[in-house]
Amino acid sequence: MDQKELREWESRCIQEEPPACTAGCPLGVDARAFVQAMVQGDMQTARRILEKTMPLIGITARICEAPCENFCLRKDLGGSIAVGLLERSCISSAPRQGKILCLPSRGKKTGVLGGGPSSLVAAFDLAKKGYAVTLISSTSPGGWLSDMPSTVIPPEILAEELAVLEKMGVWFESATTLTPDVLAEVRTRCQTVYIGHDGELDTELCNLLANVAPETMALPEEGLFTGGIADAEHLWRYITSVAQGRAAALSMDRHMQGVSLTAARPRPRHGHTDLFTSLKDVNPKARIIPSTENDNYSPDEARQEAERCINCQCLECVRHCVYLQEFGSYPKVYSRRVYNNEAIVKGTHQTNTFINSCSLCGQCEILCPHDFSMATLCLEARQRMVEENRMPPSAHAFALDEMRAALSSQFELVRMAPGHQSSSAIFFPGCQLAAVRPDQTIALYHHLRAQWRDTGIWIGCCGAPAHWAGRKTEFREIGEQFLQSWRKLGSPRVLTCCSSCLQMFRKQLPEVDAQSVWSITAPPLNAAAPAKQLPLALTDPCTARNDKATQAAVRRLIADLGQELADLPLSGELTECCGYGGLMDNANPELTRKVLENRVSQTSADFLTYCIMCREQLARTGRPVLHILDLLFPETARSAEEAPLGISTRRANRRALKIRLQEEYFGERISPPEEWQGISLKIASELLPILEKRRILTDDIRQVLWLTEQSGRYFEHQSRGIRLTSARLGEVFFWLEYVLNGNEYLLQKAWSHRMVPAKVTK
Amino acid sequence: MSMSFLPEDMNWICRPCGVKLQPSTVELSYLGSVFSVELPACPQCGAVLISEELATGRMLQVEQLLEDK
Ligand code: SF4
Ligand code: SF4
Ligand SMILES: [Zn+2]
Repeated sequence: MDQKELREWESRCIQEEPPACTAGCPLGVDARAFVQAMVQGDMQTARRILEKTMPLIGITARICEAPCENFCLRKDLGGSIAVGLLERSCISSAPRQGKILCLPSRGKKTGVLGGGPSSLVAAFDLAKKGYAVTLISSTSPGGWLSDMPSTVIPPEILAEELAVLEKMGVWFESATTLTPDVLAEVRTRCQTVYIGHDGELDTELCNLLANVAPETMALPEEGLFTGGIADAEHLWRYITSVAQGRAAALSMDRHMQGVSLTAARPRPRHGHTDLFTSLKDVNPKARIIPSTENDNYSPDEARQEAERCINCQCLECVRHCVYLQEFGSYPKVYSRRVYNNEAIVKGTHQTNTFINSCSLCGQCEILCPHDFSMATLCLEARQRMVEENRMPPSAHAFALDEMRAALSSQFELVRMAPGHQSSSAIFFPGCQLAAVRPDQTIALYHHLRAQWRDTGIWIGCCGAPAHWAGRKTEFREIGEQFLQSWRKLGSPRVLTCCSSCLQMFRKQLPEVDAQSVWSITAPPLNAAAPAKQLPLALTDPCTARNDKATQAAVRRLIADLGQELADLPLSGELTECCGYGGLMDNANPELTRKVLENRVSQTSADFLTYCIMCREQLARTGRPVLHILDLLFPETARSAEEAPLGISTRRANRRALKIRLQEEYFGERISPPEEWQGISLKIASELLPILEKRRILTDDIRQVLWLTEQSGRYFEHQSRGIRLTSARLGEVFFWLEYVLNGNEYLLQKAWSHRMVPAKVTK
Repeated sequence: MSMSFLPEDMNWICRPCGVKLQPSTVELSYLGSVFSVELPACPQCGAVLISEELATGRMLQVEQLLEDK
């Protein structure tokens, strides 16, 4: 990923756009964070947030007319958050938190004429930027602020803010009247001059202030700037003056530094933001009215009012995805992490696990207002990792082994219908259905052949695991291999039960006419929902998210069976992955557990699915889960409560299914089993879950034991009668601890590792 | 990872060599990194014993660390 691509990714996620209140604040105050601090009753933090952007804070926080409230998303849901009142409440309860930091002196002088609020703000900002400011007024500085009732601005507060300005180095001078002569004199000693409309200017000086450029507050005469143009009738008189004073100060700074007044200048947002915030689950809640006569909130009222804040965020994707929650941030930040991960030359690639944990299910893309696809981000990152040889070898090892086994001659079977020389269709159950439900695979094959006699059968794998693991070359090769065999069959229609296979074929091999079995079958005559079956929650596989036709076909089939469905909001195009997709379960089993728990917590109903991996994964939670084949073929139905099959059983089922088809259907001679398959093995039952977790197959165990018999090499315990042996299969070293009883092996322990040991010979 | 990983129980005999395993210097390598550690090994044929505790503990951690390097 290069910088440009990173920017593109980042720009899609709008979570960092300001909330409406900030966008509606001419000073860009982070009102959301401020209000959230008020929810906690944390006045200090709240004040610190205001101090970041607010000039003359003691005054601004007291009298700002809060135009932000006009844009607040709460507006029509009980009334905007009273940000203004909350600021008042904060400012009177917490003292100043941080020092005002001024930049080191730039050795340049600037003048401010008039003592109105806009002039004070211009002086404040310019002093902060390191300029020597002289403020000249004809009355006491503060202008119309001094006329405010003392309950609104106590005189000592104004005095305090003026003292702050003085401390910042602002030099106060007075003149009897502010005339063009005074301006001319100031110009001789200052590079730029600000003339505050809200000060007491004489008419002639006022006349000089025509034709101001609204964006920069620059006057036609070079070096002159103005502001404070709002009059007493103006709804937002104070904040407008403040904003203009600030805009002018920014221009004056640019002018004195000799840079363009307009280039890359942040535009005022006037409430505009691209932040999306869902109001779907937000209930109306009325604004809290202060109970005291001075119109101020009590601490309790302030908290209650603050609690109404929606805390506007997008996070549409994060709200629903356990994976996105797990890593604590949101896609904009995640895309930066992926980028940084690639930029690392030396050191730990901390984002590897993150990249490999995504199930690539695509829910985020549907939810995101800008179609941000974490799936694409992560898949492409994986592909680059593989290409650059940075992919952790163990990340997807087991799934890839399983896939390669399914594609090997030991397990793969491709046949025309028995007695047929051509096939108009071929049944491709998908590698996992064949492994988990061999009986139902055959039942379904029968059923299809009852409709189309010449339907062939293909027990294999579509290569999805290679795709998910980022292994482009391997995936392409599997596709090419598939095409070759498929053409040899006469390019038949491919009928599959697996949404992942269907997705792979459609994306990768568009010339193959691939169809979902569910969209072409009618229920067999004897099929029906068992009597009194409660409504089931139908979970669509994530790879069928965009396959509306299959989703509808499955629902029709279920309706024909008389099975009622329970409500499951996140289904159809919003469905969730079971953790098998994208090989999440391989790279992050812990996370998969959370994903599954979250999924079953969404309904109290039992589940129904048409993906065998969804069935097996969801069943791990203990929730009853049926596969649609259990309804279609009652005579082969498995209990919804049945625990998921282990890895070794799946492997054995695959092997047995091929043999059964060869013998029963095609009358073929079965090739003799491999020698290691003859090893007589007994496994202590408490060891089974450990083998499952460590992903050690009984096939692996038998092979290691057979190799031990061949070599005659093992360790024997001096007194305990146990033996220890190991062998390397592929990249993995397997260790077995066992007792040999006659010719039967009683396995007691098994473990594995990848590091290669070698004794150093002296 | 230069450490000693000798299991409590060292009473293993190598077959067919017929000699007891001895603490030995062993090199463990993975993805281009090599570590020198002390492990039980057969003084005669050099076969090394990797205990369950080591394989599923420290060694697994190091493997994962190296995979992310
Ligand atoms: S609800 Fe809160 S965050 Fe959203 S606009 Fe209103 S004050 Fe800002
Ligand atoms: S849905 Fe997610 S990715 Fe899209 S803008 Fe919102 S936070 Fe960003
Ligand atoms: Zn030996």
